[in-house]
Amino acid sequence: MMQMANRLHETKKAFSNERIKKRGGARNIRKYWPLYVMVLPGVVFLIMFRYIPLAGIVIAFQDYMIFKGIMDSPFVGFKHFQALFDYPQFWRVLKNTAIIGLYNIVFVFPVPVVLALMFNEIRNIVFKRSLQTIYYIPHFFSWVIIAGLTFDFLSSSGVVNSVRGWFGLDTILFMQDESYFRIITVLTSIWRDAGWGTIVLLAAISSINPEMYEAAMVDGANRIRQVLNITLPLIMPTVVILFLLNIGNFLDLSFEQIYNLLTPMTYPVGDVIDTYVYRVGIVQGQYSSTTAIGVFQSVIGLVLVVVFNRLAKRYQEDGGLW
Amino acid sequence: MISSRESRGDLIFRYTNATILGLISIVMLIPFVKVLATSFSGPHAVGAGQVYLWPVQFTWASWKYILGLEPLWSSFFITLFATVAGTFLSLLITALFAYPLSKNEFKLAKILMFMIVITMIFRYPIIPYFLSLRSYGLYNSIWVLIIPYTVTAFNLIIMRTFFKGLPKELEEAAQMEGCGYFQLLFRIVLPSSQAVIATLGIFYAVGIWNQFMIPLLFIEDQSLYPLQLKLREYIVNVDMEAGGFGEILPYSNETLRSATIIFATIPILLVYPFLQKYFVKGAMLGSVK
Repeated sequence: MMQMANRLHETKKAFSNERIKKRGGARNIRKYWPLYVMVLPGVVFLIMFRYIPLAGIVIAFQDYMIFKGIMDSPFVGFKHFQALFDYPQFWRVLKNTAIIGLYNIVFVFPVPVVLALMFNEIRNIVFKRSLQTIYYIPHFFSWVIIAGLTFDFLSSSGVVNSVRGWFGLDTILFMQDESYFRIITVLTSIWRDAGWGTIVLLAAISSINPEMYEAAMVDGANRIRQVLNITLPLIMPTVVILFLLNIGNFLDLSFEQIYNLLTPMTYPVGDVIDTYVYRVGIVQGQYSSTTAIGVFQSVIGLVLVVVFNRLAKRYQEDGGLW
Repeated sequence: MISSRESRGDLIFRYTNATILGLISIVMLIPFVKVLATSFSGPHAVGAGQVYLWPVQFTWASWKYILGLEPLWSSFFITLFATVAGTFLSLLITALFAYPLSKNEFKLAKILMFMIVITMIFRYPIIPYFLSLRSYGLYNSIWVLIIPYTVTAFNLIIMRTFFKGLPKELEEAAQMEGCGYFQLLFRIVLPSSQAVIATLGIFYAVGIWNQFMIPLLFIEDQSLYPLQLKLREYIVNVDMEAGGFGEILPYSNETLRSATIIFATIPILLVYPFLQKYFVKGAMLGSVK
């Protein structure tokens, strides 16, 4: 019975090829409906928590008032964007953000790559595992805790100043000193996430064909040469993808990190877009102007991703995110 | 295979490399060990800067004090609930979303993937995000600690890639026996995906346990404070000691803070060794693309 029905179904299908093409969507839904049901919660999430907030950027072009809502608030065009560029505060936070962003790309981003290459050279499995575990540990700490540890570590009675004391050097209040803030953000970022960042890279390394190394050894290449001429080039596509994902967040620094490391004394160098938006937008309720900043941030991020993606594709076959 | 004869240069390289990594790992652990030591030390030794990597004037006093703090426990349980519920919900919804996306017969796969990748490339600004979530009634709600993480684009893509890499034969056999897609996912696919589930489980759990920004934005009610907000209060703002003026206490702000830091970290740290076995394999899924 079933078979016959099936065959009938097949025949019908063959005959109505044209119609299937037209109504392929409806038929696909009817045939594979469970798949459509499955994605439903995810799609609802995507719309509610990603796309509606994205649509909310219209308030950057309005004088948004809470009691009027998005529908009734008056449109003001690019007023808030213009105001931004005339506002000295904005240039200050933009400069601070760009500098730390640049430090992140130059000093923080390469560290996991180097670490992964070094891990890979360790032969003793037990030693390697324990090392990796130690390097992963800081990632399990929240920024509140890392900031707490950092304040403690660098305080006047902390480890660093005690060691300086042994050598007869003066106590430095690192956390209250403008000149150390950026380097502290760099070091804490590395401490927390460099080890964790090796995970994806080590996975990429593990997929390298061992024959490559054997061939190199036959040619008499030593380990350093093998690392630089085989391992590194072969994980480059992964590095490029990670770089592209990073560059899009160039101006989106970790709010949690900066906010927890800031002290009133380090505001001039450490107040960045996200902390500024939090203070002026969320706390003081100036929604429209701070949304304009957010739009600016996202657009810069998008431009950077597109530009670098194009560059990646030019230099690497099948490179880039898309 | 690797030849047993190793050149002098390679030998030096290997040992230098191992030594450097070893030394850095020790340096990385120092702040943590110091805080641990401080939490078990007497206030005078700590105040005089005598404590480095080992407790001085050993005492349980700080631990006894913080473990008796009612608000700390209440924050702890809020965070624990959010982490367990959030991780479970996130894994469930991510798996349900990723599975159809790994199927060629699913017509919407391309469009949905495109929609997901866009959210990675063009970030929503924080203010509209805040306003939207508030309009959903998530302000001062414990659900705000759980729901916003439910689907993370990066994790979703990893899971989809993993599903795509699973051997087709198992599913086909089950399909012949008349299994529907739901049965395939829950009986066949998920049981063979322990590695990726453990990996993403850690990602979600650590993220939810440590989240600070979302609660800072949305949770105003002190009785709903998750651990990280409570910690910030203890670490940065408030004097924790409750003793009267001039009283001699067996602990100080510093020792209490240290104990609190350890208290808030140990539970999430404990997750790692349990899942490590799978985690190492899960990381092998590698290619993000």
